[in-house]
Amino acid sequence: MRTQVSFARRGREAAPYLFIAPFFVLFATFGLYPLLRTAWLSLHRWDLLAGPVEFTGLANYARLFADPFFYNALANTASIFLVGAVPQLVAALGIAALLDRPLRGRTAWQAVVLLPNVVPVVAVALVFTQLFMRDHGLVARILSALGAGPLDWQAHAWSAHLGVAIMVLWRWTGYHALLYLAAMQSVPRELHEAAALDGASRARSFRSVTLPGIRPTLLFTAVVSTIGGVQLFTEPRLFGGTSTGGNDRQFQTLVMYLHERGFEQLDAGYAATISWVLFALCALVALGNTALVRRLVGRW
Amino acid sequence: MQRAGVGRALVCLVAAALVAAGCGTSGAGGGGRVRLTVATFGEFGYEPLFEEYERAHPEVDVVGRVTDFDTHHRGLITALATGRGAADVVAVEEQYMPRLRRSARRFADLAAFGADRLRERWPRWKWEQGVADGGRVVFALGTDMGSLAMCYRRDLFERAGLPTDRDRVAALWPTWEAYAEVADRFAERVADARFADSAGTVYTAVLNQAEENYFAKADDSFIGDTNPNVRRAFGIAGAIAAKGRTAKVTTFTPEWNVAINRGAFATVTCPAWMLAQIREAGGAAGAGRWDVTAVPGGGGNWGGSYLAVPAQGAHQREAYRLAEWLTAPEQQEELFVRSGILPSEPEVYRDPVVLGHTDPYFGGAPVGALFAASSDRVRPNHRGIRDADVRPVFGRALGRVEDGAQDVAQAWEQAVREAHDLIG
Repeated sequence: MRTQVSFARRGREAAPYLFIAPFFVLFATFGLYPLLRTAWLSLHRWDLLAGPVEFTGLANYARLFADPFFYNALANTASIFLVGAVPQLVAALGIAALLDRPLRGRTAWQAVVLLPNVVPVVAVALVFTQLFMRDHGLVARILSALGAGPLDWQAHAWSAHLGVAIMVLWRWTGYHALLYLAAMQSVPRELHEAAALDGASRARSFRSVTLPGIRPTLLFTAVVSTIGGVQLFTEPRLFGGTSTGGNDRQFQTLVMYLHERGFEQLDAGYAATISWVLFALCALVALGNTALVRRLVGRW
Repeated sequence: MQRAGVGRALVCLVAAALVAAGCGTSGAGGGGRVRLTVATFGEFGYEPLFEEYERAHPEVDVVGRVTDFDTHHRGLITALATGRGAADVVAVEEQYMPRLRRSARRFADLAAFGADRLRERWPRWKWEQGVADGGRVVFALGTDMGSLAMCYRRDLFERAGLPTDRDRVAALWPTWEAYAEVADRFAERVADARFADSAGTVYTAVLNQAEENYFAKADDSFIGDTNPNVRRAFGIAGAIAAKGRTAKVTTFTPEWNVAINRGAFATVTCPAWMLAQIREAGGAAGAGRWDVTAVPGGGGNWGGSYLAVPAQGAHQREAYRLAEWLTAPEQQEELFVRSGILPSEPEVYRDPVVLGHTDPYFGGAPVGALFAASSDRVRPNHRGIRDADVRPVFGRALGRVEDGAQDVAQAWEQAVREAHDLIG
């Protein structure tokens, strides 16, 4: 009798832990273990095929911080992010503001706006790469019809960054617009009415009522697009066809560099080092972003 | 925390995608048949042979997976590293052989299945590239080899006022310097096409005519900066690039295919295996426009592959039997006659049927005589263990010259510096 009771009680005590266990099991398997394993790899000279060669401590990190290709990739990543993310968030805000008005067939518009995001990224990258082809691409033809010479998109850093940024822009603007729209619709209408009564213009009302009202969403999208930007890989990888990103690494991003070292030169230790620095970078940038957006948009 | 997890996951996803693209899993097919996957790249011409093999072995189901060169090899390496995902039979190109030889234990030792008795099929150099541990372990069987020739467009040559007959074309360029002069003559008369496809192709051809490239044959040390062969090849290709004589399309990319289809370049150094790719890209409309003749500098080799059986496979014995059959003389002969894949076995390339073979797509060029007849003279280039790492460094340097970003001297200087940093 007694044991049954205690068994039942123990069961009741264990139940909550069992309920939350799946998260921790999944997190440990797919989050924590790879993280620690990567840290371990990064302390070795480790050949992807042959395995560990020798324990080198922090030598890989020292090498990385003296590596010009790392800084090159870092600068490219930042540049592509700035060229892509800022116009993207502004455009998303504009689209959301347009969709926020009374509109015929709004659901259809919302679906259209989201469409680019549900197309697989590889397909997007391939289509844009075709459009941007130097000799026979559609963009090249339009440019030459307008009297401009053909542009070798991949040959210059600025054009390559622009090209990649356009792909990112195309894919993510609609997604962010819908997030903004959802947030805008939860801003109380009374606030807008009160602003209108006070004689505020539409623009003023947008700035003083809408923007502060959607601040958490602004923050969220800024963080998400930054992290996406830091981890940018597929678009530039397919754009140039190699992990080096052009003949002078002019559009090699950090993850492409990681891929080149790890999966082309088989230097798994160094690649692991890059991924750890990438992780630290993501954390830092996300924190910085939070602070920035908090300062920019109201002080609620 | 989670973000790094996502980062890792991204890398894993990419790796998985590469693996999925390059290889497949094996297992028992329907009705108890053994399913064998064969992963190759480019044009191996194996499809009809698979059917033939299945007819002779009803218990086996052969599935071919073809990807491009880079995807195939990266996928293979990832699969070998993780221990799963490789096909039952995998093709390996010669430039990856030194590195994979170091990890030969990841492949089945084919000697255990009797491969050591096949030694006499190949010339010594081809056989020795596929063995490890001083010849005790056989991990790969030779398929084809490269043997260089020059493919050219008769119609473009005619427009440029150049001879179109293959002997007279060959007489135009006894040396690479003469080839560069013909490029200048061509450019004076034809504005809407370039003479060569890319500086990289010219470079590879010149380089492969030398026995040593980036690494010393004696001790595998890096000599890319001091080896006059490398310097000379870089100078010749760089000068052609700087003058804008190339169409700036990297071999085997979609742009390269489009350029072939539209006749954007007039010549390309072509190893035997490239004929199939030109035919594929050129389509029916390109028939008869191309021709094949001798390459400047007198022959050489570019590429050639092997078949290996990853040790992770579930049906290694069956996979070996298939690989042994695919590389057997009868099949090599069939592959050459049908697809122009040059055999690496003397018994085959000395066969009169092979020697007398012509290719109607290339204006009836005597490809047997052009490729097979010089096969006895083919010598391997010494490939260092890090050959596959250093090679792209110099390729990109020539790309920078083509982009107009650097002159030849600057590009060379940067390439040498990068190569040194890489070797460490």
